[in-house]
Amino acid sequence: MNLRIISANLVVKLMGFYREKTTMFFTFAFPIILILVFGTIFMSQDSMEYRLSVQDLDQTNSSAQSVKTLGLKGKFKITSVDPAVDATKYVRDNKVNLVLVIPKGYESSLMRRMMLKDNNASVTVTYIYDPSSSSVMTKMQILNAVLAGINQGISGVPPFIRSAERSILTRKYRFIEFFVPGIIAMSIMTLSLFGTVDSDTELRQKGVIRKLSTTPITHTDWILSNILYHFILAVISTILMLLVSYAVFDVSLHIDAWLPAFVLLDVFAFVGTGMILTRFVKEAQSAAAAANAISYPMMFLSGSFFPIELMPGFLQKIAKTLPLYYVNEGLRASMVFEDNMAALRSSAIIGVYAAAVFILGIMATRWEEGR
Amino acid sequence: MTKESEYAIEVEKLTKSYGDLLAINDISFTVSKGEVFAFLGPNGAGKTTTVEIIETIRPPTSGKVTLLGMDVTKKKHDIVHRIGVLPQGFSSFDRITVRETLQYYARLFSVKTDIDGLIELVNLRDKTKEQYKNLSGGLKQRLGIAIALVNDPEVVFLDEPTTGLDPRARHEVWEVLLGLKKKGKTVFLTTHYMEEAELLADMVAIISKGKIISMGSPGELIESNANYLSLTLRTADDKVFEIVRQMGFGPVLDNHKNIRVRVEHAYDVQKILNAIKDAGALYLGLDVRKPNLEEVFLKLTGEALREDPLEMAVE
Repeated sequence: MNLRIISANLVVKLMGFYREKTTMFFTFAFPIILILVFGTIFMSQDSMEYRLSVQDLDQTNSSAQSVKTLGLKGKFKITSVDPAVDATKYVRDNKVNLVLVIPKGYESSLMRRMMLKDNNASVTVTYIYDPSSSSVMTKMQILNAVLAGINQGISGVPPFIRSAERSILTRKYRFIEFFVPGIIAMSIMTLSLFGTVDSDTELRQKGVIRKLSTTPITHTDWILSNILYHFILAVISTILMLLVSYAVFDVSLHIDAWLPAFVLLDVFAFVGTGMILTRFVKEAQSAAAAANAISYPMMFLSGSFFPIELMPGFLQKIAKTLPLYYVNEGLRASMVFEDNMAALRSSAIIGVYAAAVFILGIMATRWEEGR
Repeated sequence: MTKESEYAIEVEKLTKSYGDLLAINDISFTVSKGEVFAFLGPNGAGKTTTVEIIETIRPPTSGKVTLLGMDVTKKKHDIVHRIGVLPQGFSSFDRITVRETLQYYARLFSVKTDIDGLIELVNLRDKTKEQYKNLSGGLKQRLGIAIALVNDPEVVFLDEPTTGLDPRARHEVWEVLLGLKKKGKTVFLTTHYMEEAELLADMVAIISKGKIISMGSPGELIESNANYLSLTLRTADDKVFEIVRQMGFGPVLDNHKNIRVRVEHAYDVQKILNAIKDAGALYLGLDVRKPNLEEVFLKLTGEALREDPLEMAVE
């Protein structure tokens, strides 16, 4: 290992990267765009308010009071539908997915139940809905829960089973705070894997590697400068992602020594994977396709974008075999849950993977023509 | 150590095979220090394979190769500090300038190099701030030669340094190589351009189908393999061709209707000219020349690098 050679190689790589403005832009801007787009979507979900159309055919104080209660308890933004219109036609014509119809006689039935204790007195509210809408079932479930609460209140008997919520986290986190560590892990994987495969394949195809093989630079010097180069890019990219996340979404993330540790492990793991891949890629044109074949399944299956619990069981098992899953888990353990033991477990697993592929990568890297 | 003082390169019974394909077949040769040694052969003859084995890029299948007294299969680390290599199809980092590229390679060798001197040697003064990707083919090759000299090597390997260049760029590279020769560097040159070998080389080895078929100085090779003169007669008189044919010299007509004759001695030329004069025939011009390396190559290998009716007729 020769530090002078490693630094010479690092400087050339950084200068080349700096002068490739397009590559530089996409390396740093792409993950930031992802954070901005998905962050905006998740932020609106966190404060989501459903629209609910209500047709009150009773037009009494009691029915009006119930509509008001729905708005307050169900977080619904209520739109009144004229009692004279056909509710089914209204749903079709106005592209709403649900109209709640309160029947005529609502107040009189309520009085019979409340005043005369007539338990046979009841009303049926009707949900007129569009089943093709993806959010209508959620809206109906919320509505059912609110109506159950109103029924409970009318009965005058305190509920037997009550529920209490207790989060495993010390404080409430928003989805963006779970998302940002996933994007950090994914973008470092992408820049390390693609950077290694693209660059090494191109340099080999152009004969630069053959020329270098007649100089004192060794495999170890080459690979360590490659790691260092990608680590610097990864650190810059991570800082930019965090700055944008703090500035735009006011995220609350815990940052400690685990963050650079996982960034480094992520770089090692995927530069090593890239070196192995480069051994089997013959031409620069097929390098991106080969890197895509590895990175895309990893991106979607390892929980960078959404929790793997949403996936079928067999996919969850596959996810747990992917190295990126452990970077995601480790970063979330340190940045979100502040769980050092979980971070240590993940770092141990990704560390073993990184060491294995790094050694295999060194063995797979061939400068001398073997044939 | 005595061997090191005699030869820069010693190749002994070198063989290289790729599966069933025998690329290099039991070749042996030596290159003296300070010599420009040209390895001459057509594409696929085994030139690059041989030179890459000597440069430590490829391992041999069998045989022994010694460079400056060191076994190339065992002393790679020591050897790379003492050689300079311009590989075939040389390329460098696209976005790095000429000066930065030379500085980079100097740092790889951990040497203090006179970068300006190298730039001057390969005549790239006006291009020092130009990025590699913006250089023309000839300029790239000249940069490649400068890189090969960055560690002031004892032996310089130049693998087809002018292939793919236009004639002007080729002559520019030759100027640089003549400069190296003047500096007394040992140069191992592979080429399939005969005039390149003839102009630059002290010694030439002709390789064909993995075997060295002849070796010597350009003069020796010509003398021993093509000891004749080529006479070309420009004439519009059809009788001239018949006169020469009847003298038993075997004339041929080239694409320009010139009569070309191969003769053994200078006085044969005089005999032909006298016979034409005596018959009252006329010729408009004549050219007498000694054969060149290309003709030697054609005679030895039977492989035509250029379409040439005289040579084809001889074969």
